[in-house]
Amino acid sequence: MPAATAPSLAYAPQVGRFDEAMADDGLLRPAWSRLVAALGPTNPVQFAERQRQADRLLDAEGAGHLVHRISLERTGLPEQVSTSFRLDPLPFPIGQEEFAVLADAVTQRLRVLELVLADLDGQRQLVRDRILPAQTLYALRSYRPGSPRAGRRLITYAMDVARDADGRWGVVRDMTDSASGLGVSLLLRSVVARLLPDALRIAGVAPIHDHFVALRRALLACAPGDRRSPRCVLLTPGPAYSAYVEHSYLATQLGYHLVEGADLVMREGRLWLRALDGLEAVDVLFRRVGDDELDPLEARTTAGVGVPGVVWGCRRGGIGVANAPGTSVAQEPAVTGVLDLAARRLIGEPLRLGMLGDAQLATTPIVGTTGPSFAAGQVVLRLHAVAGPDGIMVMPGATARLQHPPDGAAPDGITTLKDVWVIGAQVSRRISVRVAAVPQVDLFTSLPKRAADSLFWLGRAAERAEFAARTAREVGGQLDRDPGLGVEPSGWADGALALLRAAQARSPTPPLAGVLSTDRLAAEIELTCGVVAAQIATIVQEAVLVREFMSTTTGRVLGRLAEVRERLGVPAPRADDLDTVLVDLAALTGLATESTVRGPAWRFLDIGRRLERAFAVLGAVEAGIGIAVEPFALQPLAEAVLASNESLVTYRRRYRSDVVLDAVLDLLVGDDTNPRALTFQLDRLREHMAALGWADGLALVDRSSVGALSPVDAVAANGRRIAVDALVLAARGPLLELGTAIVQRWFADPVNPTVMGGR
Amino acid sequence: MTSSHFRVSHRTAYTYGTPVSDGFTMAHLLPRATSSQEVISAEVRITPEPDELEESVDAFGNRVVRFAIHRSHSALTIEAISDVIHRPRVFNGEHPTWESVANLIATRGGEVALEVAPFAADSPLAAIVPELDELTGPVFTAGRSIIDVVIDLCHTINREFRFDAGFSDITTPVSAVLAARRGVCQDFAHVAVAALRSKGLAGRYVSGYIETRPPPGQPKLVGVDASHAWTSAWFPGFGWLEFDPTNDQIPPRNHITVGWGRDYGDVTPVRGVVISSGGGQQLDVAVDVLRLVDLG
Repeated sequence: MPAATAPSLAYAPQVGRFDEAMADDGLLRPAWSRLVAALGPTNPVQFAERQRQADRLLDAEGAGHLVHRISLERTGLPEQVSTSFRLDPLPFPIGQEEFAVLADAVTQRLRVLELVLADLDGQRQLVRDRILPAQTLYALRSYRPGSPRAGRRLITYAMDVARDADGRWGVVRDMTDSASGLGVSLLLRSVVARLLPDALRIAGVAPIHDHFVALRRALLACAPGDRRSPRCVLLTPGPAYSAYVEHSYLATQLGYHLVEGADLVMREGRLWLRALDGLEAVDVLFRRVGDDELDPLEARTTAGVGVPGVVWGCRRGGIGVANAPGTSVAQEPAVTGVLDLAARRLIGEPLRLGMLGDAQLATTPIVGTTGPSFAAGQVVLRLHAVAGPDGIMVMPGATARLQHPPDGAAPDGITTLKDVWVIGAQVSRRISVRVAAVPQVDLFTSLPKRAADSLFWLGRAAERAEFAARTAREVGGQLDRDPGLGVEPSGWADGALALLRAAQARSPTPPLAGVLSTDRLAAEIELTCGVVAAQIATIVQEAVLVREFMSTTTGRVLGRLAEVRERLGVPAPRADDLDTVLVDLAALTGLATESTVRGPAWRFLDIGRRLERAFAVLGAVEAGIGIAVEPFALQPLAEAVLASNESLVTYRRRYRSDVVLDAVLDLLVGDDTNPRALTFQLDRLREHMAALGWADGLALVDRSSVGALSPVDAVAANGRRIAVDALVLAARGPLLELGTAIVQRWFADPVNPTVMGGR
Repeated sequence: MTSSHFRVSHRTAYTYGTPVSDGFTMAHLLPRATSSQEVISAEVRITPEPDELEESVDAFGNRVVRFAIHRSHSALTIEAISDVIHRPRVFNGEHPTWESVANLIATRGGEVALEVAPFAADSPLAAIVPELDELTGPVFTAGRSIIDVVIDLCHTINREFRFDAGFSDITTPVSAVLAARRGVCQDFAHVAVAALRSKGLAGRYVSGYIETRPPPGQPKLVGVDASHAWTSAWFPGFGWLEFDPTNDQIPPRNHITVGWGRDYGDVTPVRGVVISSGGGQQLDVAVDVLRLVDLG
């Protein structure tokens, strides 16, 4: 870079207000100058393109609004907060020295808040001396006198700061309950690292990843003293909460199980995870559930997202909770409003940073939606700190949130965030990473019951969606190629209708005795596409619950499925939409096969798949082969049955002949080398049952196998091939039983906590 | 004055529509010792036998029992049996004006700030609402002694409110009780503490029992008594003066104290969380207060 050319930015700040990027003389401030130099030639058009790229990357990471929205719409729960966020690809730079001032303020505030909480649980000097009068304190719902005594109460803490129009920093709010946004910071940085990799390096931006190492150490340090290799789980209120995306991301990054209240149970003052193999001990609960909902036994709440008895367990010292129960009171304005007095009292010094009040904010450049230049926006920064055995660490980075005056709500409900770069760090100091004696429980050997449940249904939905899509596509295709099929009294239409109904998992209708209108078939095809859409919604909903078991690529595939699902909802979906679905479902299957370790998570996913695939084959055979039709109708019907189970090409290659009934049945039922055949599914199920050591399940699979061996001939009565029907019946019965037995044996747990009152 | 010896039995029985697989319960059922009440014995009997049980003392000094049952059960019975002796206190001495008491509570640090001021704070079930003014106006007149104010408040609530067991439940806000001028003892206690707090005084919600005497010549019926609630107000030189707006009385005459808090929520007799696949529960409560002997 020629030294003579000063970096510049297509940006004009407001006059008379402090601007982050530009000084009054029109020159870039040092941090911005370094940022712009690192970014290279910057123009707003380029950044509009980067905006699209950022949106895509965020979607791939599972932050996609689409995925989250489907999940919400399925659960029928109201959204708690505005759902999603967008990344403004222009970072917010801040010089190392200036950041150090903010970091010192965070450290001091965290120290004081911790001491305030300790005082409220102990001596109550602040109350006694009326610095925090009891009349104020005891009126706060968040204050629960006699919270359990804890070692350190605040493990994580976040502070929102902003600069006023005169250029002075001030505190906007404190977050002591369950400081949110940590996962978002990490997520944004990972997206930015792909968006602007060179700039990040050239500008010398402080890395934030060490913060998560410190967080993990701090969390494990919360474990009761006697635990040798403590285990931590991350408690979320569930997918109905907008922060779920962040919780899921954070859990994956930290390597902890993401759990909901119903996954946990208290026994003898200790916390246990309901896992497939029984209860597994948990030592530290990293809660993302608010204080007021953490324990329905203690709080005046009726909500069911917490864990009954967890505060009692905390009181008995059997479990570490971060942040400790009762910490939410420290973020109340009534408390933070007297924090300066409290600081003078408790640590003998005033606060370094005061509250911002309702001052006007400074401006900063943002990527605007229109126009040839960057726009001026106002942001609030969220800084994160973690307190642990190594002291207090402030994350060298932050997230800036764009303010939308007057009330801060974005017009489209989407919050715009910026990654904050701490620039000019001389050396990035790394914490010596001492790994705990035994690493966290392997996600692939320990599986919460609820996750196994989700994976099982995810597998079933994926198969069901595929079968429905193939059937709709094949029947629709035959009808397009030969419209006459629908109006000939050959039996084809009856068979095709039955096949479509099988694809919808509905029972066949009685024969229509001859002619069937093409409209009727078209309507059934549409209904079948509706089933595809509904099954995709189930896939997405279940997948969101078990995000920790899926790869990033899976997130991307789910995003695409969610997108194409919207198109399936409209009347007369196009064949190529169904093709897109089939390609994405194949990708999903491929990922499940190739990118998943063969542990219980994969096993239950695969059990779901195999079971549903067996039902699909049996349903198709019953509908298309069980029906006795004219010989010339058998050909297209059998082809449809083969195609809906992706076996037509194999058939043609192997038999090089017109359709022969025995050969079709052999390929679809008895052939243990065809991955679509019934026998193949039963073999896989048998392996799974054996691996689970579950004799009852094994017996049911064996009974189905015996049924599948029933001899078959072409004898027909009342329009049905009797032997085919008998085979289907004999093979399907035990599998239906197996489906029910799996749920009862492996997943069922009554888990609806209700609060009961007394008098 | 005579002392009395009471035996209280408080039986809470839940019957569940669907078996409960796991249940956690927190109970404020064991009476605490007070300046006028000695607790001879107190125990809870729980059926089925709990898998874990612990007694502790809460932030207000009340006795709390927490227990859990981790086996499937279709019914839960909690019976608290307590033997208590009353030694009534006599109050005499200075009676300050209510304004001077309010001023003291608003400004004094130390013990007053720690032990009294918490009960001057607004609380969810005894919210300070503007509708209280109509009630408090004639009672809190300028320069009146705190004793007169408390007795008049007790009297006013007793006179103006109608006892109506069907009107309210535990979540009924003070404003609704004020508007309807009806409720049960818990509601009247909440109105009384809210009235005190609206004037800067400290008021405690007291949870306990009352012996209901049968008409002369008739035997006392077992099981007709219910858990009861009343109020206490603080003033310097004496401490907490109890009053019972439901019966327009100054306890303790036939009152047995279990505990106290800012409102019902701090001393709920039984609160539990059950985990069950279905719903439907039936609650049956019986309280029996027996006067064993009047001691000389």
